[in-house]
Amino acid sequence: MGNKLKLMLGGLLLSTAIMASPTLAEEVTITVWSLDDENQPAFNYAKEFSEMDNGIQIEYREIQFDDVVSESMRAFATGKSPDIIAVDNPEHALFAGRGAFLDITDKIAASTIINADNYFAGPLNSVSWEGKLFGVPKATNTIALYYNKDLYKKAGIDAVPETWAELVDTARKLNDPDNNVYGLAFSAKASEEGTFQFLPWAQMAGGGYDNINVEGAVKALDIWKTILDEKLASPDTLTRGQWDSTGTFNAGNAAMVISGPWELNRMLEEAKFDWGVALLPVPEVGSARSSAMGDFNWAIFSNSKHPDEAFKALEYFASQDDRLFPEFGQLPARSDIALPPTGIALKDAALKVFQEQLKYAQARGPHPEWPKISKAIQDAIQTALTGGATSKEALDLAAAKIETILK
Amino acid sequence: MRALFSSLRDGKGFDISLIAIAMVFLILFSGAPLVYNAIMSFQEVDIFNLGTFIRPWVGLDNYRSLFADPSTLPIFWNTVVFVFSSIAGQFIVGFGLALFFTLKFPGAAYLRGLFLVSWVMPGLVVGAIWNWILSGDFGILNHFLKSVGFISENIFWRSDINYSLWAVIIANIWLGTAFNMILLSVGLAAIPRDVYEAAELDGATAIQRFRTITLPMMRSTIGAVVSLGLIFTLQQFDLFAAITSGGPANSSNVAQYKAWEMSFREYDFARGATISVLMIVVVMIASIIYVRSTKQEVRG
Repeated sequence: MGNKLKLMLGGLLLSTAIMASPTLAEEVTITVWSLDDENQPAFNYAKEFSEMDNGIQIEYREIQFDDVVSESMRAFATGKSPDIIAVDNPEHALFAGRGAFLDITDKIAASTIINADNYFAGPLNSVSWEGKLFGVPKATNTIALYYNKDLYKKAGIDAVPETWAELVDTARKLNDPDNNVYGLAFSAKASEEGTFQFLPWAQMAGGGYDNINVEGAVKALDIWKTILDEKLASPDTLTRGQWDSTGTFNAGNAAMVISGPWELNRMLEEAKFDWGVALLPVPEVGSARSSAMGDFNWAIFSNSKHPDEAFKALEYFASQDDRLFPEFGQLPARSDIALPPTGIALKDAALKVFQEQLKYAQARGPHPEWPKISKAIQDAIQTALTGGATSKEALDLAAAKIETILK
Repeated sequence: MRALFSSLRDGKGFDISLIAIAMVFLILFSGAPLVYNAIMSFQEVDIFNLGTFIRPWVGLDNYRSLFADPSTLPIFWNTVVFVFSSIAGQFIVGFGLALFFTLKFPGAAYLRGLFLVSWVMPGLVVGAIWNWILSGDFGILNHFLKSVGFISENIFWRSDINYSLWAVIIANIWLGTAFNMILLSVGLAAIPRDVYEAAELDGATAIQRFRTITLPMMRSTIGAVVSLGLIFTLQQFDLFAAITSGGPANSSNVAQYKAWEMSFREYDFARGATISVLMIVVVMIASIIYVRSTKQEVRG
């Protein structure tokens, strides 16, 4: 390279550096990782926030559901984590418990936009660890019982099951193998979905992840086994997730399905019959209710260089919570937001039930070793349902495993 | 200095540097990760100390806890069943097809090429398709077996603990057959025609020709196909992820899937590494047998 050319290049570099520096000093760039695409909230909020004249730019990265934890932990371990992340709620404590998330209790207390009291207890619990707040719930969801009203009419059933016994009974009446109709669909898959579906049953019966082998939980698992043994639900329940199970309901091949509000839009499109949603059946008349709690939380990484700017972004995200349902079909995790009717009768009726069910939604954990706890529960469900052990034996084993984890 | 350069350009130095490049690559991209993996299996590794090298040393604890887990032995047994059945199935069907395509009929070469499509497809796609074929309530396979009269009730291939492992084996045989066929076809083509003609003149039957000419002359090809089969089968992960996820109740879980579950579902990287180390030992034994068995061939 000739000396002249070198000189020219050097000059060019220098001049760009000089030109660029004033803007660099003012603008702060923070990174946000979330699984939302351009039709979902985080992507849009991040864009809007960047466009505001506040000196903060957001660099948004979309990550796949399965990669959220491994990607972000690898990034944290190597010091390259984003400032803000959306994380699935049972995995929140995994980060918070190890000091990877920033304690924002004081920031929330000082904030005029985010008020902790406005959030439902379940979601708020999932961002908490040892009494401190390590994030803000992004949205929430829960599960309830969808039922096919046309098939109910055909079978001459006019009451939606309210107890477990009634659920099994109704499923028996609706079961119609000759027409390829199962009474019920749900998911007992050996993944977080299985835990998500089973825990509410255990909780309604007085159990929980820390006492999974109580009598009521054993009875719950026995009922699941009855449902599968009598083929009231497809044997594929063991290997099928909630989305696919609900697909069989939409196709008219299952008369009831246990699933969440994320199905509403698809069901409106696919289901060619009249349907409704009911609260999850309880063990006995008058038993305490419970349900699962899903969806993601926002958190700031503890090694963020711009925690204040990141919190400002969170405040903006939270201030847009009233758009969650009308625009994106997600439920805000807050009790102070009234959801306006959509004008679609089926959806509005379903929404009411899900909002009622949300009051009983309980967080999974929170515990930093949640994936291991969940695995023990999944193993118990699968062992019992495939006849490898009785429900009691399987849950006793799970309880013993969980105990060593909790110690 | 000049001597060094000339040796590098044309002499021993040149040979050594060629080998050195290959060795550096091998050590960097195969050796180092293997050693790193083995070291991890003696440590306590979770996702937060994954980025550092200094981690608590636990000796053989990972191995002990792995074998204390009642699910481990059945999973290893599943791995053995999976590997042997898959290789046997792929090899027999692949050899059959290879022999079939040595017959000169119109379009034989094109048809043989078409079979490779299954090998080109990504495992996850193959898995998704077999997922539908094997589906319990509305799967094509069940529909077919029923209309032929083999079964009267649907078989839940993916969800019945007696069938789930076989569901993956069937898909894996389909996936690997084409590769076996191509390698074996190449081996078959290398056998001189005149040997067969001479045998035919001497009155050898087709079965005799196959036993005394084809099989012995294919020995090294068969050895290569089977050992590659072992490696590919032990690597097979996508089909498990797509069809059964190792379930139900671990009935279709195998070592390689379990290692992934340990590392990326439970975030227990050390125990994931422990399983990998055990698998490496198995593959090493197999490769030693393979290398030794083909050594004689080369010298002979």
